[in-house]
Amino acid sequence: MKRFFLISFVSILIIALVLPACAPQQKDVIKVGVIGPMKFLEGEHHWMGAQLAADEINAAGGVNLNGKMYQIELIKADSNEILSPTDAASAMERLLTVDKPNFVVGGFRTEGVFPMQEVAMNYKTIFINCGAATRALQMKVAEDYDRYKYFFKGTPYNEYYLVNSDFLMLGMVAATLKKQLNITDKLRVAIVAEKLTWADAMVKTAEATIPKMGMEVTGVWRPSDTATDVNAELTAIAATNPHIIFPTFSGPVGVTFSKQAGEMQIPAAIVGIVVEAQKFGFWEATGGKGNYVMTLNTYGPGIKITEKTIPFFENFEKKFGQPPAYTAATYDAIYIMKDAIEKGQTLDADLLVPIIEKTDYQGTSGRVMYYGMDFDAKKYQAPHDLVYGPGYVTGLGLEWVDGKQVGVWPALGIGSGGWEKIDYPGIQPYVINPAVVEKFGQPAAPAAVE
Amino acid sequence: MLRRLFKDIQGDIFAIPGRLIAFIFLITLFFIPLLTQESYILFILILVNIFVIFAVSWDFISGYTGQINFGHAFFFGVAAYTAALLSKNLGLQPWATIPIGAVAATLAGMLMCLPALRLRGPYLSLVTLAMPLILLGVIKAFPDFTGGEHGISGLPALAGSRMAEYYIALVAMIVSVFIMWKLVDAKSGFVRIGIILHAIREDEIAARATGINTIRYKLLAFIIGGFFAGLAGGLYAHFLRIAGPATLDLMLSFQAIIWTVFGGIVSIYGAVVGVYILFPLMELLRQFGVPVWPGSDIMFSDLRFLIFSFLVIIILLFMPEGFAVWVRDKLERECPRCKLSNASWRKECRACGAELH
Repeated sequence: MKRFFLISFVSILIIALVLPACAPQQKDVIKVGVIGPMKFLEGEHHWMGAQLAADEINAAGGVNLNGKMYQIELIKADSNEILSPTDAASAMERLLTVDKPNFVVGGFRTEGVFPMQEVAMNYKTIFINCGAATRALQMKVAEDYDRYKYFFKGTPYNEYYLVNSDFLMLGMVAATLKKQLNITDKLRVAIVAEKLTWADAMVKTAEATIPKMGMEVTGVWRPSDTATDVNAELTAIAATNPHIIFPTFSGPVGVTFSKQAGEMQIPAAIVGIVVEAQKFGFWEATGGKGNYVMTLNTYGPGIKITEKTIPFFENFEKKFGQPPAYTAATYDAIYIMKDAIEKGQTLDADLLVPIIEKTDYQGTSGRVMYYGMDFDAKKYQAPHDLVYGPGYVTGLGLEWVDGKQVGVWPALGIGSGGWEKIDYPGIQPYVINPAVVEKFGQPAAPAAVE
Repeated sequence: MLRRLFKDIQGDIFAIPGRLIAFIFLITLFFIPLLTQESYILFILILVNIFVIFAVSWDFISGYTGQINFGHAFFFGVAAYTAALLSKNLGLQPWATIPIGAVAATLAGMLMCLPALRLRGPYLSLVTLAMPLILLGVIKAFPDFTGGEHGISGLPALAGSRMAEYYIALVAMIVSVFIMWKLVDAKSGFVRIGIILHAIREDEIAARATGINTIRYKLLAFIIGGFFAGLAGGLYAHFLRIAGPATLDLMLSFQAIIWTVFGGIVSIYGAVVGVYILFPLMELLRQFGVPVWPGSDIMFSDLRFLIFSFLVIIILLFMPEGFAVWVRDKLERECPRCKLSNASWRKECRACGAELH
């Protein structure tokens, strides 16, 4: 028995060592490393987005390089970065030194992307970050251009712009409530954010900005990002009688909060960042109690941001049986690289960098362009980060209505600074929670008799 | 003199299979960069060497004193953050930040252990478990200073090339393990700490009854173990060029325990063997993208934690003393008369001639 286990152990080791070397060698391919937490939804969608792009490009003949058509070959690397940044660094090291891809897309958790970035820059390999918002990652390019110039953003735009979009959504909901419910008083807003650093900045900004928007802050609540019970916070929030709850949740507390708020039937509109509400399983996770929760997202069903959005969304759903998460923007990243390679007719990273810097590409979530080294730090820009705003990448506000995600923001005619002019086909009017209508709705003023 | 040195080596190393294997293993490690320039292999081996220091320091504290420390990552994290802060704010280089980080880990550990060492058993373990969590709370409370959950990144590299980094980690590992091994050597004529720690582990009350200040020695074990765990933390931060909350992760503390118990607790070399087998094995399993059965969506790599756990359980079931200790017991036999180690195939003791079978 003991001998059997020993032989089994040694056999596993030998097979593990020998098998990867037995893989057949292919020629005329462009190798793309797809790195992400492959056991988690974010990593799965990195892979799915990349697969869709590779299948489409290969079916269309491939990438034209020096008159020859090259097929895209994807290499999957599980970074396990959500659990271990050490694993992320070693996965990137293996990817770059053993599999030797021409470029890499992926990355999700900032603490994992930082060491992956260092490894990729050591090998002067183009790495398009398709998951971590943190601006500090892009600011590395500004700090040491020669070393970090190979690092680009795929998605999402940085956290300062996430905050900006969040307030624009809040403004839209506030305007809708005031108009449709004839509320003449100041709207009251309860701020609730998970106890994580990235949310600290959001809370500070919200406390300063909401009064300037003509609303009153009723209080700030900071549950843990992994809290499994927020009844105490919700009871306290309900006692302040807010019209709007403004959440900032990236963790699983988003489900807990939405579910318990629904169970308690708190008559307040919930609008903000709830990452869990971006996922298609949110409705089941909340047992249908997450109705009318509105969150910032990248893609939405039936919403046409560009010509590519709906075909991408539908093909993705058809192929994988679920809608794309934002990390599926590896799809765009691979197309951007294809364009750059065909423009430059090279695979040399140093020659490709200036071409990618000049990218002007209609992607699935908007027009992709990059800030250059002449970026304006006061406007929170960063080199090789996505250009943000109307006409470029904006994001979407999605509301859960009776089990379906409905696009409700940017809303035509509501907002300012050019956002009020954005008209994405498929955007529908914001639906006010009936409990809010019941509690705060006032009869409309009688029409003037002529 | 050379002849005498050779004779000593022949008697102390070549005559004892376990030490001979260790000797060949060390020599091989020195020549690995000459055998392969594969950066990924060196990358993994650097991490292995760093984690060897970390795991051995856990064995030094917990194995030898019996004070089960569930928060060993505390020392690792304190040193990693100290090195990162010194590097970022004062521009110090790794040769300065790593030792200072290790000293900081020692001091922080000492301060935290003063109340903790008044406790014993599960109560002590719970206090140690809380240490990295408290520090994690502090780090998240001062994000402007500590980088919050993103950590402090962009630290200077450990060295200019992968090979240089490899040799730094290797030498640091060998020196650290050797020092800790000599310190706990119960047969040492120079240092008494080894036999005292053994006594504390076996029966703390009896040790105290003989006049040993057990708290002082336990504190000493925490200081020394903390220093080496801190050394590992500093090396890690400069190698990955980031010090983040993951350096304080509970899983990291538990990994030190798993590695050590797998190899063989209270042996020092057991922790070395544990890390050298389990860390690369997990890495191999992670890359093992072969379907469990033809056409299956489930890959062997998906089951790596299951395979890992199964393997650890099997090893501990059949080799309860640990894998390295089991191998040593198969290869070596202690002389019943003079207590000297002999190769298991010898019939008579190589020193006193006593019959071994």
